[in-house]
Amino acid sequence: MKNTDSTSMTSSHANYAWIHEVLEPDQLASTKPLFGRRKLGATTLALLWILRLYVLLMIFLIGYQVWSAFHAKF
Amino acid sequence: MKGMNERDDSALNLSKAARVSQEDIKRAEDRRHVKRHREERRPMRLFWVLLGPGILVMLGENDGPSMISYATTGASYGIGFFLPFILLTFAMAYVVQEMTVRLGAVTKKGHAELINERFGKFWGWFAMGDLVFGNLLTLVTEFIAIRAGLGFFHVPAAVSVLGAFLLIVAAVATQRYWTWERIVLSFAIFNLIFIPVAVMAHPVASDVVKAFFTWGPLPGGVNAAFMLLIMSNIGATVTPWMLFFQQSAVVDKGLTPKDITHGRVDTALGALLAAVAAIATLLATVPLFTHHVDASNFQGADFAKALIPHVGNIGASLFALGLFEAGIVAALTISLSSAYAFGEVSGRSASINSPMKENIPFYAFLFAAAGIAALLVLIPNAPLVFITLIVNVIAVLAMPPAIVFLLLLVNDKEIMGQHANRILGNVFGIGVTIFLILAGLAYGILTIFPHLLTTS
Repeated sequence: MKNTDSTSMTSSHANYAWIHEVLEPDQLASTKPLFGRRKLGATTLALLWILRLYVLLMIFLIGYQVWSAFHAKF
Repeated sequence: MKGMNERDDSALNLSKAARVSQEDIKRAEDRRHVKRHREERRPMRLFWVLLGPGILVMLGENDGPSMISYATTGASYGIGFFLPFILLTFAMAYVVQEMTVRLGAVTKKGHAELINERFGKFWGWFAMGDLVFGNLLTLVTEFIAIRAGLGFFHVPAAVSVLGAFLLIVAAVATQRYWTWERIVLSFAIFNLIFIPVAVMAHPVASDVVKAFFTWGPLPGGVNAAFMLLIMSNIGATVTPWMLFFQQSAVVDKGLTPKDITHGRVDTALGALLAAVAAIATLLATVPLFTHHVDASNFQGADFAKALIPHVGNIGASLFALGLFEAGIVAALTISLSSAYAFGEVSGRSASINSPMKENIPFYAFLFAAAGIAALLVLIPNAPLVFITLIVNVIAVLAMPPAIVFLLLLVNDKEIMGQHANRILGNVFGIGVTIFLILAGLAYGILTIFPHLLTTS
């Protein structure tokens, strides 16, 4: 199937029936399902808050290393 | 479509009413080969068309800085503890990367896309930003390795760096995942170029075998420098880009739940090849240990030059070519992982099967990521040594959020169904994850505050 001139084509065209045979339904770019937000339990929520605090720590640590490097240089 | 359940039937009806893009057509062409080989029961051909993401991610992780690290280890510790230790680290990498294969094949979505959908935009954009920043610095180190490797052959820095950048552009400009994957695989297999160099170094075979069984010897014993090296190696066993890249590549390649077994074999084979290449690199520099050469401050091409008396000009040239290969394969895969994450979080197509003219931001992001890193390497007096030092720290510090989300997602039965982690999988997965996170954190903190190591 080399003739791919147009951006997209309706798959009702017989030429594209083979695509539905080889791809799973959720593999088509236009029909990927949206899973949506996950309902978060108390444990997961606590874990995400710990991660938020960790991100702040991480930013501080990296910032500190950059500051130290420049401080040592000048 | 035999054996589909009702949910699949309704999805099929939906897709028949939907539109088919060029990205779909290209992916379908690749999947047609998979279908044919599966129906005709040709296992080797089936494996040939399904392999790729696992081998690429593992050989990509054997990047420029990693190979220099293995070379330094060989020159500092000789044959002993680190041979079985390298095998162990790649076994741990397999445990983590296998989860990304399942996630990609079942959900058909990349890591950043799933985080964005399941945990909200804050974590989605954080994951993407964190990855892209870390990747940019890592790409700088890959271009340094490329420059060092080709520098051994007196190729000017500008020529080697710009040539590598053009290679990245050319591979992606094929606008076809299959072609890109085969180009990168053909480069990646040269990671094994370190094997002949190791043979030329004439390691004592009985010492090598003994090391695997005894985990020794360990010259110098357990000291602070050794512990830092161990933590650095464990912490760098899996880096964020590996999770994002393999899951997105599995999706772009079009793997489905039926292909998970092949994805696992692909990943295991990649881990084995990468471990062999890493061990070969270590063995290649053992003569420097035997002859008491101080290699602690060696940069890329210094190893190749120092090895000439021991492995000859051919061996040293192969070593330098290996450094170039390690840098270029990592640069090809890491730049794509940044673009995948950007496409997934920004709601665009995250596929190199998508036509360039319809997905300009995705390709522009990829070229910008590689281009900025290439330019940084060429800027006179750029703080490259500092970047090389900080890139490992950023990688290990950025790992916990990425790996925690991986575990949350792979245990999410709403999206994973029967492919969610089971008890044994979680025991291994969570155990390895906690080990990697703690080692990485300890390495990161001790690198930033080295006095903690000397006073403890």
